[in-house]
Amino acid sequence: MEQVRADGFDEFVAARWSALLHVARLLTGGDRQRAEDLVQEALVKLWFAWPKVAEQAPEAYVRTVLVRMAARSARRRWWGERPVEQLPDRADPDDVSSTVAERRRLEAALALLSPKQRVAVVLRYYEDLPEAQVAQALGCPVGTARSHASRGVARLRQILSDAVRPVG
Amino acid sequence: MDDFERDLSRLMRDTQQHTPYEPEHRQRLHADIRTRRRSRLLWKAGGSAVAVAGLSVGLALLPNMLTRAQPADQDRRPPPATSPTPSYEDEPTTNAPDPSPSSTQPASSAPATATATGGDTPTGATGTSFRPTPTTTVPEPPATSEFPTPPPSPSPTTALPSRLETEEPSSSAGTE
Repeated sequence: MEQVRADGFDEFVAARWSALLHVARLLTGGDRQRAEDLVQEALVKLWFAWPKVAEQAPEAYVRTVLVRMAARSARRRWWGERPVEQLPDRADPDDVSSTVAERRRLEAALALLSPKQRVAVVLRYYEDLPEAQVAQALGCPVGTARSHASRGVARLRQILSDAVRPVG
Repeated sequence: MDDFERDLSRLMRDTQQHTPYEPEHRQRLHADIRTRRRSRLLWKAGGSAVAVAGLSVGLALLPNMLTRAQPADQDRRPPPATSPTPSYEDEPTTNAPDPSPSSTQPASSAPATATATGGDTPTGATGTSFRPTPTTTVPEPPATSEFPTPPPSPSPTTALPSRLETEEPSSSAGTE
């Protein structure tokens, strides 16, 4: 029973790890270490809810947990960092590929938003969620979620106006 | 959705970097799960221990609360409950000073009247009428011990007769 549960859970995590990590990176404004911690914590919570959620929508569950934790952890001053023997690999500063450059610019711009604006923008424009679900994930009224998203986009427009045009 | 929003959406998706789920990630994840499971078990055990302790304290305090409540009930009860008992207690006291059992009902009044009037007429009137009854209860002194016998006899045996007499006096008092 436990083995079946672990197998199904591991399959899901292996399949969705990259996407979840990317969402977490967007939600944290490009902080890879924090993103990994968020994904880890969300997946631990998913493990305990797995018997109930496995047959329904585990990814939606993880996403909701991730969004709430990202909004909450942004208010924390200490991120629970622990010393490690090896430093995590960072992006090579000499890597000038366009994708990496764009990602960095995007993450830097997202980092300048408030946590709720960031969450609203990511859920609305990356996950393509309707406003009602964004509001549900944020735990606020639809009008407030719409306001967060529009203000976040306005701020990103201001920051990225020069960066997005060349890509398009 | 304008051009910028469309570009923003595409940029967010295109910049996704493929990150494989490596064994290190798996080990770390399962280690976290084990740690969380242990902490949950500890919380549950602690919670149940606290619940059991609370229940035992409550059960230990409950009898004390009840015993404290009982005296309070007794204190409340006495007024109605002791009303008949004082009559029993009063009977011997009234009987004791009385030389004759006949004077039980007007115990307070009999000596008073005796002292006031000299004790001849009241004792003679009431005492003669009631003397036969104590003599019947105490067979030892036949006739000569009429006057000395009353004091010793009422203490043990006149308990019942006195009650009867106390019930009777009400009628005799009514007749008076």
